[in-house]
Amino acid sequence: MTKRRALPAPTLVLLLPWLVTAAVFWLYPLVYAAVLSFTKHSTLASTYEWVGVANYTNLLSSDRFWLALSNTTIFTVGTVPVTTALAIALALGVRGQSPRVASLLRSSYFLPSITSLVVIALIFTNLYARDGVINALLSMVGMAGPERGWLLDTSTALPAIMAMDIWISTGYYMVLVLAGMENIPKDLYETARLAGATAWQQFARITLPLLRPTLVFILVLNSIKSFQVFVEIYVMTKGGPLGATTTLVYELYHQAFEQSDMMGQASALAYIIFVILLVFSGIQMHVLRNKTS
Amino acid sequence: MDSIVRTTKLHRIIVGVLLAIVAIGMAYPMVWMLLLSLRAVPEQYGSLADLMFAPTTTSNYTDALGSDDFGRYMLNSVIVGTIVTAGNVLFCFLVGYAFARRAFAFKALLFATVLGVLIIPPHVVMIPMYKLMATLGWINTYWALIVPWLVTPFGVFLVRQYVASLPAELEDAARIDGAGEWYILFGIVMPLARPVLTVLAIYVFLSNWNSFLFPFLFTNDEAHRTLPVGLAFYVGKQSIDWGHLMAGASISALPILALFMMFQRRIIEGLTAGALKE
Repeated sequence: MTKRRALPAPTLVLLLPWLVTAAVFWLYPLVYAAVLSFTKHSTLASTYEWVGVANYTNLLSSDRFWLALSNTTIFTVGTVPVTTALAIALALGVRGQSPRVASLLRSSYFLPSITSLVVIALIFTNLYARDGVINALLSMVGMAGPERGWLLDTSTALPAIMAMDIWISTGYYMVLVLAGMENIPKDLYETARLAGATAWQQFARITLPLLRPTLVFILVLNSIKSFQVFVEIYVMTKGGPLGATTTLVYELYHQAFEQSDMMGQASALAYIIFVILLVFSGIQMHVLRNKTS
Repeated sequence: MDSIVRTTKLHRIIVGVLLAIVAIGMAYPMVWMLLLSLRAVPEQYGSLADLMFAPTTTSNYTDALGSDDFGRYMLNSVIVGTIVTAGNVLFCFLVGYAFARRAFAFKALLFATVLGVLIIPPHVVMIPMYKLMATLGWINTYWALIVPWLVTPFGVFLVRQYVASLPAELEDAARIDGAGEWYILFGIVMPLARPVLTVLAIYVFLSNWNSFLFPFLFTNDEAHRTLPVGLAFYVGKQSIDWGHLMAGASISALPILALFMMFQRRIIEGLTAGALKE
């Protein structure tokens, strides 16, 4: 090796990209949003007026906020457990197949999670339309779907988007469940089989309990994601019809960027969402700590 | 005993058929997208049959790429995606290495900022980020689509964990031989960290390619829109011409589909790494 003495690499230089990015693009905006949430800010006149907690109290007393919170909660509670249950069922099935078939299935199930949400939302807008495939299939078996299409009916719009979300994410979580199952020692099943345990008993007594950390992690991760649902809503329904699909983040976007004087209140909403998500993250950290100890 | 073997075999086949049906259900919407993109869809179609039996055409693609700016969106997506990916590989490596190997003041605190930023939901900072970009004059420029995303906390975390798990002896030996720190960094550690940097590159490129929120907020002219943003606006522009729309959607989805076909295992590894590395 040549005894070439290159310039030293000071630690500060190595860290600099992160220090700048964190300070300018994350921490400053976070503080700015907090300050903004206590002001009335007009985008057009670019004036700031200190209003104390008025943005928060206005928000908490507005029907829109509670509608958005309830839609978001329905979305999360309605999708996360279903996705998780399906992910477990598919993982169990895939695991029993030969390695080649298993890998093929795994790839096919994973595909939706790498596809652009905008693309998927557009495809499903077509499938859910009045003359779409889903209504056509229903009429073939003698049933009638919503007359104006699934996304234009207040009672079916949100469930339709939820079903799509389950379709998108099940494969991703199945891969995580499969990875969790890999970590369960094989000889546990061997012993159980020798003791005469049925497949169901093996699942209930071995797989499920040992999968618990993975499952809790998946539930939290998916809840955090679902609670921020936005792109699908923006592309498919713009929060409608009549607010039936207005979620928290959609309402945040609407107030911040489609109104001229509500950025302050929108920032308050952003912080309320942040606090709710921090609770989810807190649960996650708690569980992970238990997992490692 | 023999009958048990037979029933489990039968059982396995039944489950296999069910799983195959699910697989078809997973693939079906993509297939539908491709089918529609190749149909000359009548402007006012009354039923599904009108759509199914419309003549086959490739004009949707030529229209989308030619007159509808999808060529431009694609170029933007490629430019932004490539630079952001390269930036993450370089900068996350430098920062991750520093956290793994160097000793410095406030190290624990600074590493806490990495983990802290990781849990900041992007929606919380979208208003101030928009105002910041406006102040900098970066709206409708590549700067807004590139600079804030050149180093991501997830990447720093991933590289730090990986480098910390590498033995330090090689670096020490090189140092004794008189190698400079930059040489150790790029000549010794970087090649060793290739697996994690590959996973990171795949993860960053895919999420950047599909990223919607910030490119959507930071651009409002055709010239700087990326594929997902251009596609989302396209819906409003047309009186829903499904053939055109699905050609645009296919143009957005096919490069990723091709990448996925080639690097399935690496991609699945990369996209689940965030969850599994914890």
